[in-house]
Parts: sequence; structure tokens; C-alpha cells
Amino acid sequence: MGPPTPTVESTERASGGSPVVPAAESKRWLWIFPHRPGPLGLRRRILLIFTLGALGLATFLAFTTYGLVRSNLTSQRDSTSLNAAYRNANQVRQELSATNVTTAQPAVEALERNGTDDYALRYRGQFTTATGDYGERSIPASLFTRVVAEETDARMIADVNGETVVIVGISLPQEQAFYFEFFTLDEDNKTLSNVALSLLLAATITTGLGVLVGVLAARRAVRPVADASEAAKAIAGGRLDTRLTPTDDPDLGVLASSFNDMAAALQLRVERDARFASDVSHELRSPLMTLSASVDVMEARRDEMPERAQAALDLLVSDVARFRGLVEDLLEISRFDAGAIRLHLEDLQASQFVRNAVAVSSAPGLAVSCTPRAERAIISGDRRRLARVIANLIDNALAYGAGEPELQIEDGNAPEETMTHVKFAVEDHGPGVPVEERALIFERFARGASAGRRSGSEGAGLGLALVDEHIRLHDGRVWVEDRSDGEQGARFVIELPSREPIDFVDGPAGHDEDVP
Amino acid sequence: MGTRILAVEDDERIREAVTLALEDEGWTVEGAASGEAAVEAFERHPADVVLIDIMLPGIDGFELCRTIRRTSDVPIVMVTARNDTHDIVAGLEAGADDYLTKPFQSKELSARIRALLRRIRPAQLGHERLIFGDLELIPEEGKVLQAGEEVHLTKTEFRLLCELALNRGKVFSREELLDRVWEYDYFGDGRLVDVHIRRLRTKVEADPANPRHVVTVRGLGYRLQA
Repeated sequence: MGPPTPTVESTERASGGSPVVPAAESKRWLWIFPHRPGPLGLRRRILLIFTLGALGLATFLAFTTYGLVRSNLTSQRDSTSLNAAYRNANQVRQELSATNVTTAQPAVEALERNGTDDYALRYRGQFTTATGDYGERSIPASLFTRVVAEETDARMIADVNGETVVIVGISLPQEQAFYFEFFTLDEDNKTLSNVALSLLLAATITTGLGVLVGVLAARRAVRPVADASEAAKAIAGGRLDTRLTPTDDPDLGVLASSFNDMAAALQLRVERDARFASDVSHELRSPLMTLSASVDVMEARRDEMPERAQAALDLLVSDVARFRGLVEDLLEISRFDAGAIRLHLEDLQASQFVRNAVAVSSAPGLAVSCTPRAERAIISGDRRRLARVIANLIDNALAYGAGEPELQIEDGNAPEETMTHVKFAVEDHGPGVPVEERALIFERFARGASAGRRSGSEGAGLGLALVDEHIRLHDGRVWVEDRSDGEQGARFVIELPSREPIDFVDGPAGHDEDVP
Repeated sequence: MGTRILAVEDDERIREAVTLALEDEGWTVEGAASGEAAVEAFERHPADVVLIDIMLPGIDGFELCRTIRRTSDVPIVMVTARNDTHDIVAGLEAGADDYLTKPFQSKELSARIRALLRRIRPAQLGHERLIFGDLELIPEEGKVLQAGEEVHLTKTEFRLLCELALNRGKVFSREELLDRVWEYDYFGDGRLVDVHIRRLRTKVEADPANPRHVVTVRGLGYRLQA
């Protein structure tokens, strides 16, 4: 396993630069070892053990079998060859021991009758052979000495003409004859190599099966862990009611039950927090109702008031409005947290929808531009929630940007592509949002540091968080970037899934739900 | 005599503030702190509009709504604490004509009340009877006959039926009906239309599950036919 380019990483850390992914090389390593080089995972360990076990067992069995077969074969071959050689030698002796024999001819004839070819007979210092294959020269000197000089029966394995043969030498001293017979081992060797081949095949198959069983066992062993990891991911993703299926296995049961206990505790806690926020905002509504209605009554009599009371009333009116906005946002956010939001989806013609949303926002006169193609875009959305999104972005632009904001409706796709997305962008002429604050700005009550300095204290910092939540529920994205025309200012962009109408009718397309 | 509004709200401060705000519109407001008090007040002195908070001690808002509906077609505005589908649909099905979610502005409330009080001018409807099969509208008298029998409709239901009847055969989208009947803009709540159509069907259709007159045109809206 190769180490992942430590040099690149360390230099970058040392220089304190931005945390860029360290070079392509380390990525390549990660690609080869998806779990990065390091200790083997449980699954790999189990697989390794099974593989090695199967390999070891198969090898052991193969070698043992081979050894047994070979020794069996050898002893069998030894006894048959010795028997045959002695039988033939006996015959030779019988023929040669007859009285008037002077040549080896009778013995040769007898051997021929027996069908024995592979021999060499030395009679009175003279060699006779049946075939040219084996003869005097085929007999190794040591064997010759032992048999002929020492007159002892002997047996030897030797290579003759490139063949392995067993040579049995039998001395018949009374007849002045020495009988040598050659037994080829080729047949045995072929058998042995066949056996070896079969054993190799069997060992391979066994090892393969071992790997397979190992894979299955590893998968089985890791499954509870994988399930737990999936469940943990689901919980992290907000599905707090995710639980592991209880199991009878005593070892895994502990994991499942303690995991579920943890999830339940977490869920309880999160729900309690969410309920608290929700309860607080519910409690705030009653005094807010009273305040709001009373302020309206006072506002209707503003002209009858002294100047200082009027100034105080104006403050009261605007802050009651802000208070109401905050409580409404809090209620909406707590609905998100409780998972109680149910979108009321319908097909909306994007441009018409946006123009309507602008008309009821705090800047009804806002300039709205739309590309010809986006004019046709149909989105599936909850119109009241999306209108809130547009209103929040406009309020944000009015609060933090200078001058008149603009709203642009644009294609989310290149001209040659099929339409899949449409973009709504709100641009302002404010100071823009610094790169490092661009993600933070969508968090609850997060107000850009520069924004805080810039204006008084307008805007409560829930608006953009709500935009983010709403857009995510609509499977869209929201982000902030620099103005498209290069001037100073922020550009908030919403990207929503969209499509082109099948049959374009002027007006909103139909609804999708239960009734019409 | 001026318009009388019955405001049913258990929170005394809210009731007082809302009363003050509505009185500024020139209406006479009577407050009731509970459902029981509201029933009694309504029997003693029927109002032109009733404002009901759903969360009430004793008889709750839904029950109060049904009680009033048994004897009266008065426009009812529900006030819900939560913006969830269940409360709103339940309130509308109990007989409410419109709803508001707390916290609302008094301007919104008075706009809602004004819309409910507005009547369809007889001139607009003409003097003719409008006949759709066994369904007969007598605009001058504000009456509807189904198979010759008079059907009792609330003012909002009647207004909805008249809108559909005025343009014989025309398909109305939800937005159009929200605008014409409730005077809502593009962002009105379509559930108002859906629940009222359902209520209307239970009254004017022989078989509300298979409507013959008030029909749904899938993907477009609703239409009235013979």
C-alpha cells in the first residue's frame, strides 16, 4: 500500500493556505484503495481469513493425496516389475540350464514367447537384446558392476534414451548368465501428472469456493454494521424516526437496541427543542395580536396626536410589524423542524408566478426581466411558500442592498439542452456578500458581519434561512454570488426544477391534487 | 342599522383590541368569551358576521360553528392558531366561510369581513330563473330549488353557485373563483374553493359522490352543468 503524497499535504498545511484537496496523486490512491491505505477493514479481514484458510486446506489435501498416490503407485510398480523380472529370469535359467545349450537362443525364444521385449541378456560374456531400444549401453556402469562383477541382484532407476526406466538386474551365476529387464516409468508418470493436474484443479475450486463463502460471510458479518451506518446517516439527514430492526442474535441485538435507544433519546431531545421553539412562538402570538390590533387603532388616530407621540407611534408601528414578521418566521421554521410542512404543489407558470409574487411583496414596482425561454417554464411548487421566498429575497435586497433591486428570470440550461431548471435572481447594489460569508448567510439568525455594520438593525436573519429551507423542500438550490454585470452588489439566485409546457396555455396550468 | 359583528375569543385582551379595531371600521362589535356565551348572544341578537377562534374553552370553535350553521347562513370567519391543513379544512367543513391565521392584521380581518358582506347585485343576475336540469336558481329571492324543493345555502355557497351559473358551461379555475367569491388575489388558498364546492355538492346534488351539476374539470377547475 502506498502512502498518499504526504509532502503535498504537509506543505499546504504548513503554508496555512486554503484547505484545497491535496493534488491529484492522492486522489488516485484513494481510487485504488477506496478505504484509503491503512488497517484492513473487517470485511477484508474476514475475506482474507477465508481465502487463506481455503488455500491452506486445499494445498495440504492436494499434497497429501499426491504423496499417497505416488507412494502407492511406486510400491505397486516395484512389486510388479520385480515379479515380472524374476519370472522371466527363472525362465531364462530353465532354458539355459538344459544340458546341451551353448547359445542364448533358447532363452531368447522363450522370452519372445512370453512377449518380453525390453531386456538385455548377457550369456557367457555376450549380450543379446530383442529390440534396439535397450541394450548393453543402456545399463549404467554401477549396476553392471553390481550385477555382473559382484553377482548380486539389483534394481536401479535411470534415464535411457530420454525415458525414465527401472532396470532390474538378476545374476544367474550357475548359467553364466545375467538378466537385465527394463520397465518404463512413463505410464506411471503420466498417471501421476494427471493426478497432480486433478488435484490442482480441485484445490483451485476449493480456494474459489472459500473466497465465495468468505465474501458471503463477510457481507453477512458486516451487514448489521452497514445497516447501522445507513440508519445513522438517515438520522443525520433528519429522519429521526429511523430505527434498526431488532434481531434475535444476542451479539447484534445489543448493537441494535443501544442504537435505537440512542436514536430515541436524540429524537426526544430534538423534538423537545423544536417544541420549545414552537411553543414560544405560539405564546408570542397572543400578545402580538393585541399589540397589532391596538397599534392599528392608534394609527388611525395618528393625526390627533402630538408630534412626539406620533414619532413614538411610528416606532411602535414599525417594530410591531417586525415583531410579527419574526414570529411568523419562527413559526414557519419550527414547522420545518417538526417536519410538519406539507407542500401544496401545483404547476405554476414561472414568470407569471414571479410577477404575482412581486406584486404582493414589499416592492410591487420592482423591475422583473425574463428570457423568452424562461417565460415558458413551468415549475411545480407551493405558490404561497414560493411567494414567501421571493418576498424574503426582495426584503433582503431592500434591507442590505442600496438602490433599486432587480429580479431576473433566466434559463437554468444551455440553449441546446432540454429545460430542467429555471433561475430567479434578485440583484442589488449593496456592498455584496464576501465569499467566506456566502454559505453562512443562509443560517438562522446569521447576519453577515459587514451587513451588521452597514445598516441599523433591519432584518432578523431568519428570512434567508427560510428561503433555504423552502427551496430545498422544492428540490432546488439557492446561493449568493456577485452581480452578473460586474458592478458591485449581491446576486441571490434560486434554481428550481422546471420543464417546458407540453401545450402552452396562457395562464397557470392545472392543479394536480385531489380536486380539479 | 349598522353591521353587527360577533367576535368569539377567549383571550380578553385580544378580544378588546380586535373590538376596538373593528369598531374603527364603523361596525358594531359584540364580544363573547366562550362558545356558550356566543350561542346565547347570537340567539338574543343575530349578527351579520361571526368571528370564531377555534381554540375555545368548553364548546370549541368547530362545534360552535356547526351550532350556528344549524339555524343561520351568517358568514363565519374562523381564526386558527395553526396554519395546518387539518384545522383549516375542519373549520371550513364545520361551516366557516373563510379563515385567518394568527397573528393577523386588523386590516386583513376587515378586508375579509367586507368581502363576505358584499352581496351579489340582483341587477348582475337579472330577473330570469337559471335552470340546470333539476336545479333552479331564483336570484331575486336568493333561493335555490333542487327537484322543486328549496335548498338552504349559506351566503357564500349561494354566491359561489351564482358565479358558476352566470357563465353557463364556463370552466372556472380556483384562482378565478377565489377572486370572484372571496376577493382573494393570486395567493389565496385553493382549499377554500375545494371545501365549499364539496359543501355545495352535498346540498344541490342528488348523489354528492357522483356530482352531475357541479363538476370537476380535471386540470382546469369547476363548471356548472345541467
